[in-house]
Amino acid sequence: MKLHEKEMRTVYAETLNELISQNKNIFCLEADLAKATGTNPIVSETYPNNFINVGVAEANMIGVAAGLAVDGKVPFCASFSCFASRRVYDQITLSVAYANTNVKIIGAAPGVTQGPNGGTHMCFQDLAIMRAMPNMQVLSPCDVYELKSMLYYMANTYGGMYMQLVRPKVIPIFDENYQYEHGKAVKISEGSDVTIVTTGFMTHIAKQAVDELKEENINVELLHYPCIKPFDDESLISSAKKTKTVITVENQSVIGGIGGAVCEILSENLPTRVKRLGIPDKFGEVASAKYLFDKYIFGLEGIKQACREMKK
Amino acid sequence: MKENLTIDELNDLANELRYVIADMICRSGSGHLGGAVSIIEIMITLYYRVMNVKNSEPGWNNRDRLILSKGHAAPVLYAVLAYKKFFPKSWLKTLNCDGTKLPSHADARTVPGIDMTTGSLGQGLSAACGMAFAAKKDKRANHIFCIVGDGELNEGQNWEAAMFASHNRLDNLIAICDYNKLQIDGFTYEVIDLEPLTDKWKSFNWNVIEADGHNWNEIFSSLERAKKLNNGKPTMIIMHTTKAKDCSTIENIASSHNIKIGSITEHQNFLKSITSGEYKLPY
Repeated sequence: MKLHEKEMRTVYAETLNELISQNKNIFCLEADLAKATGTNPIVSETYPNNFINVGVAEANMIGVAAGLAVDGKVPFCASFSCFASRRVYDQITLSVAYANTNVKIIGAAPGVTQGPNGGTHMCFQDLAIMRAMPNMQVLSPCDVYELKSMLYYMANTYGGMYMQLVRPKVIPIFDENYQYEHGKAVKISEGSDVTIVTTGFMTHIAKQAVDELKEENINVELLHYPCIKPFDDESLISSAKKTKTVITVENQSVIGGIGGAVCEILSENLPTRVKRLGIPDKFGEVASAKYLFDKYIFGLEGIKQACREMKK
Repeated sequence: MKENLTIDELNDLANELRYVIADMICRSGSGHLGGAVSIIEIMITLYYRVMNVKNSEPGWNNRDRLILSKGHAAPVLYAVLAYKKFFPKSWLKTLNCDGTKLPSHADARTVPGIDMTTGSLGQGLSAACGMAFAAKKDKRANHIFCIVGDGELNEGQNWEAAMFASHNRLDNLIAICDYNKLQIDGFTYEVIDLEPLTDKWKSFNWNVIEADGHNWNEIFSSLERAKKLNNGKPTMIIMHTTKAKDCSTIENIASSHNIKIGSITEHQNFLKSITSGEYKLPY
């Protein structure tokens, strides 16, 4: 289990360059965090005519993107997830989702990956608030291969979309043959004792937990959801029928994110015991991911412990 | 699509639209009258004398764009577009009715000829910047017009957009401020003072023109002058207007922003109170 050689943000920027090389209507928009999201200098120097830095003005970034989109451009707007979602929630609501403009929003450094910027910058509710918005598609890739394939999908499909972007290197789950399939869960392991539902940054940690639990004769079915909205109800219900117990794992608050989605679907279709792992109803703090995993018991050990308890 | 109308014909059209807009709003029981009526002459000038648009092809790529950032003034935009034959005038009587295509705030999703959906104040100028930027990239010679309310300028996003527009030398962007000096809670100088408004825009590196927003010649000449400036700066035209102009019972008072009509009698009395005269309704 080795980290991929490239940072996720590097792949984001390089893929944007590929997309721009094929379609000059694609634009990279930034709000003075282009170095942090990886597009400066990769995009800004390769395609300066397709690179717009609006300054520290996220609301204007979304509005400018909406105007560009109305005139046939495909803007990708990036900022930290806290600013790309909660700060501009009304701008996204009106000028993107309600107006039905073709704007792509990238929320970088989601959840605990914000690390040293601490509680002011750690956003644990972007999946919850973005999936509560009509006409928005909500995505969270788990590795560089999925990220790249997903960006191609986003560039070539009309509609407002929000995607979480973990910035550093992550352990790959897939390989270069992977093709992102919109609205579909990916079954990473087959199991009969417990179903784990996860997304984005937590998928590789959940996979490690699942692999280690095999030695304890606990067989976990691992469902990775790169697409939180539209949500693949069918895969969840089918797995829950088999295992009769579901654990959700997310780099988000346990309120309203993927845990919330799973509870909504199962309670209406197949009432099932669910354990939600993630950040409880708390703000973040300056801390490493490991510290927060241990504090709120939802990292590798937390997942394993929950599986053992739920199997009983 | 441009038409040569005499001053008398323009006055007659403005008076008719004022009457029709008042009727549309009275029919639905409530609506944003004051800020729609304050820009009647501006909207007529734009769509009849200044903008290049085609009713047969509302999405024509080289058209001039108009973003009504003060989206609550949609009734006047709907009325002008219907009179310019973008859609049947019969739609007008459905304003704010259940299932209507004409909701209270400007809606590009359902109304032919509208360039941007608006309603949450402060967002239109940013979208106009995006369109002006796209026009420059695509080397189109069109103009992007954006009407903002004076109260709307309280929203900080306008000033983010103002910096963006001048930084990117968007001289194809012409903003118009409907400066009627009233917002929902009172006079602008009482709620949150905008002055010195001209100096503010100048300091953001915009051209600034002031005009009487009810004077046909001043509106037309200020718009034409703004189109010809081409000096690398966006232009703000501060149009001095009167909220609910010629609606005698509510003219120049804050409550004209959103009127409530409770009965047919109130509806009829309100139409009689319009000083510019009665007109036959077109639906």
